[in-house]
Amino acid sequence: ICVASLSSPVLQYCPAFWESTGDSRDIGQSSPIKMQRFAIKRALSGIDFQPWSFSRCLSQVARNEASLHENHDVLIPKMPPFDFSPPPYNGPSADVILQKRKDYLSPSMFYFYKNPLNVVEGKMQYLFDERGRRYLDAFGGIATVCCGHCHPDVVEAIVKQTNRLQHSTILYLNHAIADFAEALASKLPGDLKVVFFTNSGTEANELAMMIARLYTGCHDIISLRNAYHGNAAATMGATAQCNWKFNIVQSGVHHALNPDPYRGVFGSDGEKYAKDVQDLIDFGTSGSVAGFISEAIQGVGGIIELAPGYLPAVYSSIKKAGGLCIADEVQAGFARTGSHFWGFEAHGVVPDIVTMAKGIGNGIPLGAVVTTPEIAEVLTRRNYFNTFGGNPVCTAAGLAVLNVIERERLQEHAHVVGSYLKERLIALKDKYEIIGDVRGRGLMLGVELVTDRQLKTPAKVEIMHVMEQMKDMGVLVGKGGFYGNIFRITPPLCFTKEDADFLVDVMDITMSKM
Amino acid sequence: MALQRSLLKRSVEAAKAKCLYNLSLRCFSSATLTPPELPPFDYEPKLYKGPLADEVLEKRKKFLGSSLFYYYQKPLNIVEGKMQYLFDDSGKRYLDAFAGIVTVSCGHCHPEILDAIIEQSKLLQHATTIYLHHAIADFAEALASKMPGNLKVVYFVNSGTEANELAMLMARLYSGNLGMIALRNAYHGGSSSTIGLTALNTWKYSIPQGEIHHVINPDPYRGVFGSDANLYAKDIQDHIDYGSSGKVAGFIAETIQGVGGAVELAPGYLKLVYDIIRKAGGVCIADEVQTGFGRTGNHFWGFETQGVIPDIVTMAKGIGNGLPLGAVVTTPEIANVMAQKIQFNTFGGNPVCSSGGLAVLRVLDKEKRQKHCADVGSHLIGRLRELQQRHEIIGDVRGRGLMVGLELVADRKEKTPAKAETAVLFEKLRELGVLVGKGGLHGNVFRIKPPMCFTKDDADFVVDALDYAISKL
Repeated sequence: ICVASLSSPVLQYCPAFWESTGDSRDIGQSSPIKMQRFAIKRALSGIDFQPWSFSRCLSQVARNEASLHENHDVLIPKMPPFDFSPPPYNGPSADVILQKRKDYLSPSMFYFYKNPLNVVEGKMQYLFDERGRRYLDAFGGIATVCCGHCHPDVVEAIVKQTNRLQHSTILYLNHAIADFAEALASKLPGDLKVVFFTNSGTEANELAMMIARLYTGCHDIISLRNAYHGNAAATMGATAQCNWKFNIVQSGVHHALNPDPYRGVFGSDGEKYAKDVQDLIDFGTSGSVAGFISEAIQGVGGIIELAPGYLPAVYSSIKKAGGLCIADEVQAGFARTGSHFWGFEAHGVVPDIVTMAKGIGNGIPLGAVVTTPEIAEVLTRRNYFNTFGGNPVCTAAGLAVLNVIERERLQEHAHVVGSYLKERLIALKDKYEIIGDVRGRGLMLGVELVTDRQLKTPAKVEIMHVMEQMKDMGVLVGKGGFYGNIFRITPPLCFTKEDADFLVDVMDITMSKM
Repeated sequence: MALQRSLLKRSVEAAKAKCLYNLSLRCFSSATLTPPELPPFDYEPKLYKGPLADEVLEKRKKFLGSSLFYYYQKPLNIVEGKMQYLFDDSGKRYLDAFAGIVTVSCGHCHPEILDAIIEQSKLLQHATTIYLHHAIADFAEALASKMPGNLKVVYFVNSGTEANELAMLMARLYSGNLGMIALRNAYHGGSSSTIGLTALNTWKYSIPQGEIHHVINPDPYRGVFGSDANLYAKDIQDHIDYGSSGKVAGFIAETIQGVGGAVELAPGYLKLVYDIIRKAGGVCIADEVQTGFGRTGNHFWGFETQGVIPDIVTMAKGIGNGLPLGAVVTTPEIANVMAQKIQFNTFGGNPVCSSGGLAVLRVLDKEKRQKHCADVGSHLIGRLRELQQRHEIIGDVRGRGLMVGLELVADRKEKTPAKAETAVLFEKLRELGVLVGKGGLHGNVFRIKPPMCFTKDDADFVVDALDYAISKL
């Protein structure tokens, strides 16, 4: 029922879609390939085909502008079926909201899409707009919704605890924070078992940086160019992309060469990049540092995996300089990378401090810092207190998330579906020149668009176009990278192979018309 | 003669005895002969089958670090809350006179707030502001409508610390200057910049916290100039003239210092200071994390009691009745400066917290909580002042509405902090069923800042309990 009812809005959308892309513009630009249009049309008419078999047809068909108009509706991939209909939405429309945002919210608050999407409801890996139209959420609220929007187990935990006690602070005892801390600690290797709860990734990284500076008695911290760690004073210093850095004093941070296999000057040679960190220590500091912080896969930076061999070499240099190694797992953590629970595990290292947020609570405002008892000791020198941190509702949700990840084997699922998706994206890369790179791990994938594969010129304009088209066809992805030319695909981990196919098919169609 | 002398002696004895008797009547009223009773409350807590205090404490020690402190020798295992009461694992009820540190504004598990949170949690917890959603827009509009002047651009964050961090960033960007000024005894947060603003050594770690100067605290009780705002304000002018380039980024203050022990700023102080700061090119930030949302009774915002309009207002705690939420409200001019770069908060303004926040504003309005704070607050302060007459140990009673502080001293002249006695009374109050907070650099100030549904009966109970506990010291 869902497919039938949902395909019609999609189909109805198509005429407008075709008009807006301006077919006449495309005629003559792409080299026409032969297409078995009529045969396919007859074969497909009236048959309830599966999206993936359809996509295989697509990848072999040619595009012919004139004939596309005849029966364009069969070319649009169908979203996988989903047995859920949102109740009708009676709230303010997109225009009203947009006006209020302009009147009352930050002028620097940006949004995606020319016509921003009014998202009113979410269910697992799908989102619904004000008209009840379903979208595949391939961005996960920025790698945040890991179990799925409104996952029943997580909602139940939240509702149950909210009905009992929302907030009391850690001045009193409550089992929720203790149980969650225990469960979280059990997921970490080594002696990493003391947990500090905060309300965000920024707060977590701020605390981690302060702990490192206190523990070592040093001030200098090294982070990577292209990193993102937060927007408070110290974390803005660690963040390393000018778009996110305001013109204020951000002392004590040194930014090392980014071990970027695609754009980096040393390719995938992790050890060569690591030498830059040693140089920074030798020439830019007293020789002793507070620490090093990095994401295992850069998120905001455009899903950049650190070159293999990099982290072990750097961790070694940092330790020799007396510093602590901080792993920012805000995006890569909680089973997202599939092969491991934590991103740093794929690099064969054990950090001294791990920070996390985003996926930790499936969207509830929560962050955490985990470290060793020895390092945690430094905070006893004075008082560190976080009023909301570790509140019963958020910690109950966090525990529910860990249980869901385990019970539904989301890590394995992320690995299987992620690898499948990556393969299909790589196949797409073979087909379209504009795809410069496909990278990532599990369900943390990036697709970099370039107008020239040799020069790697960022396709800044084209990506906006593709993103809009994909949204019109029902797929929401994210964008990142310094040039904004990288698709970030970080869906809720309940994302299926069918969803993956749908995503790739939609991307395929869009690119085929460029 | 001898008869007259013995008669005189007897009458003096009788007079002494009568005097003593009257004295004893005043000091030992009927309320203190037996422990007072909690006001009745028609509610049964849910049956609790979870871990008990000892087990939870063990896990905390193991997995939450030794720096995570707690109240009471035998910490309290709080498992449920309803309006102004909390329940422990044995179902015992306590009067929550601290509201999770001035945070639970409407009342624990207030039904309307619960409704809003639960309904929204079932629809959409999180999507970020890259998409539209009505909750954040509606809440921003409602919040802006509560602000005076041109304060109408709202930034949502997740805590008071994040809000103050952002405010400081705005001040520096807008003014183009570096130096910030804060008050001694202030608390503004625990992150790298806000820890610099915070001015209590117990909360300041040994890390660089540059370009911030702390001025003399305009503390009417302990301050060197008493309540003379002019002299305190002069300290700021002096710092600007001698300790800075002549230009500053901004000034931040709580109108009633929270962590610092419910210290009200000397009257007229902010008006003078705001003028000085603005002349030096700086912006004025009002930290309303504790005083906001009608708590002070006569006004919605603490700064209104000082007759000023700040350039930036920060808030958290009570804004969401306990939801992790914070906000910064400023003018379009200042907001525009922030637009030069991207400033983004992943969780900030999420649908659930925004819905909760909007519900809080509605409840405060509907239940007329601000007026309620004024009424109950003045009743509470009145009774506490009476208590102060009878107990030497109470050095000062201060505050406004339901943001009240009680400072205990061993000597009223010297104002020697009665740290040990405060600790003992603190425990005693808990035994009697009253949970208060503690504050001040020396930990000798009781902070009484309950959920705003606190009643006159609750106030009487607190005072009677205090009376009983102090007289047993």
